[in-house]
Amino acid sequence: MYIPPPSPPTRRALLRGALGLGTAAALSACGGGSTTPRTSGDVSLSLWTHDPGYEEFFVKGVPEADRATDFRYHLKVTRSGPPDIVTKLLAQAVAGRGTPDLVGFEIGSFPRMLRGDISERLLHDFTPDIEAVPGLKDDLLPARTAPFSKDGRVYAFDSDTPMVVYFHRHDLFDRYGLTDSMTTWEEFAEAGARVYRDHRASLCVVSTVGSDPGQVVQSFQMLLYQRGGAFFDADGNLLLDSPEAEEVLRFLCDGLRGGFVIDVSDYYGAAMQTALKQGRVIGLPMAIWYKNYGLVPNVPEQKGKWRVRALPRFAAGGGVTAALGGTGFGVVEDKANTRAATEFLFKTWLTHDGQVRRFTETGYLPTRRSVYDDPRLGAYEDEFCGGQRLFGLYRSLLPDVPAFHQSPDQSILYDVLAGNLLRAYRGALSPRQALRQTAADFRDQAGR
Amino acid sequence: MTTTATAPPGITHEHGGTGSTAHRPRKSWAPYLFISPFYLLYVLFMLVPVGVSLWLSLTEWVGLGTPRWVGLRNYRLLATDISFHRALGNTAVFVLVAVCVVVPLALFIAQALNTRGLRVRDLWRTAYFVPIVVSPILVALVFGLIFDRQFGLANAVLRALFGTGGVDWLGDPGWARVSIALVMLWRWTGYLTVFFLAGLQNVPRELYEAAALDGAGRLRTFTTVTLPALKPVTAFVVVTSFIGAAQIFEEPYLLTGGGPAESTLSVTMFIYRAAFQRQQFGYAAAAAVVLFVLVFGLSRLFNRLLGIGRATS
Repeated sequence: MYIPPPSPPTRRALLRGALGLGTAAALSACGGGSTTPRTSGDVSLSLWTHDPGYEEFFVKGVPEADRATDFRYHLKVTRSGPPDIVTKLLAQAVAGRGTPDLVGFEIGSFPRMLRGDISERLLHDFTPDIEAVPGLKDDLLPARTAPFSKDGRVYAFDSDTPMVVYFHRHDLFDRYGLTDSMTTWEEFAEAGARVYRDHRASLCVVSTVGSDPGQVVQSFQMLLYQRGGAFFDADGNLLLDSPEAEEVLRFLCDGLRGGFVIDVSDYYGAAMQTALKQGRVIGLPMAIWYKNYGLVPNVPEQKGKWRVRALPRFAAGGGVTAALGGTGFGVVEDKANTRAATEFLFKTWLTHDGQVRRFTETGYLPTRRSVYDDPRLGAYEDEFCGGQRLFGLYRSLLPDVPAFHQSPDQSILYDVLAGNLLRAYRGALSPRQALRQTAADFRDQAGR
Repeated sequence: MTTTATAPPGITHEHGGTGSTAHRPRKSWAPYLFISPFYLLYVLFMLVPVGVSLWLSLTEWVGLGTPRWVGLRNYRLLATDISFHRALGNTAVFVLVAVCVVVPLALFIAQALNTRGLRVRDLWRTAYFVPIVVSPILVALVFGLIFDRQFGLANAVLRALFGTGGVDWLGDPGWARVSIALVMLWRWTGYLTVFFLAGLQNVPRELYEAAALDGAGRLRTFTTVTLPALKPVTAFVVVTSFIGAAQIFEEPYLLTGGGPAESTLSVTMFIYRAAFQRQQFGYAAAAAVVLFVLVFGLSRLFNRLLGIGRATS
């Protein structure tokens, strides 16, 4: 029997095949899950975060949320590095599937979400939800909604009110004759120069770690915002080149020459640990979370020797604190679980008891003003800081916490500012030149 | 029983046929199916990404939504971007270090390791090769500690030996480049040494004997016997080192983050920064296209100059 040979593929057949494959691939890629909103019952929320502390907090909050809502929550947690969370979120959003319901944005990664219309397209706007809860709008600290807002819309709720305070070695301050009567940075600088001369110890730190511009900038940022300066306004316009910024940078540069300020490669690593252990650093301005992430891991043996106080003021003006850090939790928009995730966040993250629990479990300060009056927090004694009752101090600092507005071009500013700060610290540029150069470099690169 | 397929009338075999259709070879799906995996993968993972990069470089895209066509605007901006020029300059420095320092040093070490009668040769070989298999994260951590200005090992040694040790290895733009170069040297020299060593072991011993009979000294033997014999290996090592250094990322990213003041920013870091820190995907794609063209063009030039792939007589 004759079996005819298979006919050769024609060009048209090949093209048709390729088109079919492409269409199938495109259809399978575009097919997302159902977006019919869930309104009650079992719901499995996908949570992305970089910090196991948050994971633990939310997992423990499930029973509380179950009681307060019509949902029965199950959490599926994925942990990843802070920048990777944004990258993966965008990749999944482009793919049209696999996005999380609840996302934790480390504050330094959130500016990427502000570029173009990413936040509008991808994140749920909490503004109407806030207004729907009586008293919440006035109770939430605007200083901590500002970093995660755009055009007046709130896209994430901060994990902390990371006030900047002054950490110091109580024992060494006594020994070196540094008294509580010093209330201004200028007095600190004068006494600090003497302490450095006599004891080789410094009262302030700047980071010079080249691989992390964010850290280099932080040293300057804390004092700049305390002094009343800022990087950006609410519309994302650059405000850096200001008399306050010049004053702060000059203060740090002079401090470095006199030894009052020491440059350490980074706040968390071996160099800082050595400086702390050797008593080369006996005081520094830093956010309150630094106790848990910098001091306790590096110098646990110094427990009881450290104290916390408000930042000294600048003689020329400004407040007694700043804010540094934070992580905002947002909800992905237009998903079946958007409503469930929003309610979960409101019933765990934002309740009075939730904020108290957040402090006791993670050490992060409340973002609602009224919670600072809770007697449980007022009675809290910090063992590492010699049993200090810190909430009285935190309450007194609250009115001075400045708003921190972010810009999509923030990473550009950090890159150029870090380099110019280092040049100013070394004396290669004057503070004025460094700031002008930064502003010029920023304008050259922003918006490309 | 044997079955023979007989062609029906009108169909002739290619041998002996006279019509135009008769000469057409018999075709089937089979060969296409056999070669299709390669072409499918090649198209999917090579041509499509390259094409998309090229198209993306002509758009403005934040990573979500529809890219906006901007024509050659990204390329025009790159031409005036000081940051990109710095990245090109830094990358050129790293390429020079790789080609002009690392490669000769690797050859020198290979020559030393090839010395007759060298004891524990394998131990030396392993010792030189180890840095390339160490995780870059660990490398950055260790060298970060070594190069710390206040408390680092390098300055401690300098202080102990010379009484001075205030070098800001990672904080001063000039020294930061030197630090990156030192790490490149540490990581890559041993790896390239292995290639040269393999080449040296294949040089016929008779050539050295003939050179010795002719009264050639060590230097003369090296330049007239060893180097010509190693030409194919050298060409390969130079081109791969060039390509590797032109795309250097790990060392500056982990050790200096491209700083201070962009003094160690490489082109690949520039691309990464634009795409994944600034959400400027179109701009990043344009920089990637420029890097691709430069690396491809210069590699072709090296290939031609060094005669790679040319038959030796």
